[in-house]
Formats: sequence, structure tokens, C-alpha cells
Amino acid sequence: MNRESLLSGGKEVIVDANIFIAIGDPSNTKFTQFRSVVQTAGVVLKLPRRVIGEIGGQDTHRVQAALYEGWAEIIDTPNPTDGDAVAASDIARRTIANTTGQPEHEVEKTDTILAGLAIQYVRDRSTSGVIVLTDDKPAKEGIQNAVTAQGYTGTIEVYGLADMIGDEPGGSMRLI
Amino acid sequence: MNFGLVGMDDQPDTPPRPDGGTSALHTPPRDILNEETLKPELLAENAPGLETLVKLLNQPALARVYVYVCYWGPVSPPEVMDDLDLSKSTAYDYVDRLVDLGLVERDDSIRPQQLTAEPVILVEPYTPIIITPTVLHAFALQEVDEDVEYFLDRYGIGKLVAALRGAGLHHAGNMTQRMVASEIDVRDTEAMMIIYALVPALAVGREQDPYFEYLFLDVHDQMDLPDLDVQETSPAQPDDVE
Repeated sequence: MNRESLLSGGKEVIVDANIFIAIGDPSNTKFTQFRSVVQTAGVVLKLPRRVIGEIGGQDTHRVQAALYEGWAEIIDTPNPTDGDAVAASDIARRTIANTTGQPEHEVEKTDTILAGLAIQYVRDRSTSGVIVLTDDKPAKEGIQNAVTAQGYTGTIEVYGLADMIGDEPGGSMRLI
Repeated sequence: MNFGLVGMDDQPDTPPRPDGGTSALHTPPRDILNEETLKPELLAENAPGLETLVKLLNQPALARVYVYVCYWGPVSPPEVMDDLDLSKSTAYDYVDRLVDLGLVERDDSIRPQQLTAEPVILVEPYTPIIITPTVLHAFALQEVDEDVEYFLDRYGIGKLVAALRGAGLHHAGNMTQRMVASEIDVRDTEAMMIIYALVPALAVGREQDPYFEYLFLDVHDQMDLPDLDVQETSPAQPDDVE
């Protein structure tokens, strides 16, 4: 499938911090591939402040490169007090606990809020749809389950980095 | 048998050290110490092994050459030079030192000479501490990966081992990246960064490290990692950087 088309169509794209960490520095091939996909689709990725968490080291530069270049922005998000959003976060939490085999109270709250945020975003901003990008598989499953259970399959889509730029060929990695 | 949970277990009374190791105040049991294990002869036999490991852990560049020879050997000194981007004199110097330490075997009977290395392992079950080729590889990555270098500068090798175990659990689907962050007590984005940076150590270790299961006993065959044809693939990076 044409990858740019995944992001186009006037949808809002909410992105998890791990996407920026996974693409590496601007000198990295994955960074340029991903940036090109985003810029060709003409979207500005929305990075919820609470999803980044505390930043401060080498990891910060990576997130900031995209912010400086203007194809990503940090958004402030309201607390998910909406009933549907809370329910979605609960489903995400249960799914993550299930797939990881960890007790529910061990699931990080931040891993569950993207599910609620996506639903809130679709409602409050009445956009044509929301795309959530995360590169954390258990967390992604949590969001996907919540979206399906809450009946938002048509309006919220969840993708990982590989959906955007393809799988990393093993041969391109520095092994030692 | 609890050595798999390095730095991730609840430490009831003693706070974790900043480097992620467990405190020595956590008194180990004495049941493995007896007249037999404390025989001077036996202690003397084990001492060189410990010494060489400590030397490797103090010299990541040397550890890198060791892991390379161990995983890809038999190899020739020119291959060490080319694949690890070392100058001729540096490559020969490292090889000489590794041969002196008894970590690398050099076969001079054929041309070019062939180098091989046996995998090393150290398990201290009570603390717990575990050093395997995969751990040494993760540690050696600081020579070529600035994210690993940053993490080691900031947190030390104890926490790197914890991060390695956490990365394995994440790639096996047993933990989210943020769970790893919380367990090893680093920032979320730092955990994400080290989890990606350690992929080469996990992907190659899974194929080449005979002791891989010591650190990943429960998840060694469940990790979703890039497939490597390591037998045929040169470890050096193709033209990825312009």
C-alpha cells in the first residue's frame, strides 16, 4: 500500500514518543524515510505532552529534531474524564496486562492514555478520523482492542513505524 | 535460580544502587562456601577467569574485538581490522592482548593466521550478576553506538544488564517500554532509546551466544527481532551513513 496515503485524508495523527526514538538522529536513514512520509502526506504529528514524559538527555534531541523542523508539535491534552475515554483506557490496561502477563496495577498509566486520548480527540475536534502511531507492540494492542471494543474501528486507526517505512532490513544494522 | 531477574526484583530492605546493581548489604547465603569450594587450589584456578572478565569490562574496545572473534571466528587479523574499522596497529595490539589474556586462540599454522575465542560466562546467583557474550556485546556497543555510550555514562553496567534483560522481555512482548523504564528506574524515553540500541546484541546473541538462555531463560525463543544471516553477513554496517 502507498504509505503516504495512510497518513493523508485530513486525519489527525497522534504519535507516541517511541516513534521519534526509533527513527534515530536526522543522519539516520529511518529518520529521513519517516520524515519524507510525514511531509509528503502534509500532516503535523501531534505528540501529547503527557506521553513524552520527563525529557532531558540525548533522547530529547531526537524528539526536538522533528519539532524544530515543524513536522511534529507537542499538544496539551485534557485529562481523560470523558466516560468513553476512561473506559477505553481501562480496556487498554486489561489488554496490556493480558498480553504481557503482568498484573493490571503494573501497567503504566501512560501506556493506557493514548487509547482514551484518541477517542476524546475524535469527539472533541470532530475530525474525519485519528491515526495513532506507536512502536510498542503490547501498548499498540491495548489501543487497538480499546478502539474496537468502543466501536471506533472506522475512525481511529493504529499503526507502528514498520507500517510507515517498512520493516528494517537486518542487513542495514550495525551489528558490532 | 533467580539470575534472570537482574535488577528487576523487588529489593525488600535495601534500596537499589544508582548503577542498578543490588546492594552488597543484601547478605548472600553461605551454603555454597565449604571446604571444597574454598580450597586454595580451586580459588587459584578461578581467579584468572575473573581477572580477564574485569579487564574486558574496563576496556570496551577490547571487549568488542573479543565478542567479534567469539561470534564470527575463525577470523583473520585483517578481517578484524576491516569489519571493526580498526587501524592495523590497533587491531594487532588488541589481538595480542586478548591472546595474552587467554581469551583468544591464535593458529599460526595456516596463512593468514586464524583467531577463535571460546564464549565466557560468569554467574553470581545470589547478587545476582551475570556476564555472558551477549552482555559483553551490549557493553561493547558503546564503541559504535552513542545511545549505549550515553546510557553507560549515566547509569553504569549494572543498569545496562538490567536494560538488556528488559529489552529482551519487551521484544518478547512481555513488557511495554514504559514498564521497563519504571522497573529499571530511568526516564521513559531513555528506556525506549536503550531498548532499540540493544537490538544488535539480542539479535546476534540469539544466534551465536551459547549462553543466551542464561539471561533469557523464559523468553529466548519469543523475541521479535530482525532476522540475521549472521553466518554469511559481515557485521560491519553497509553504507547507511552518508
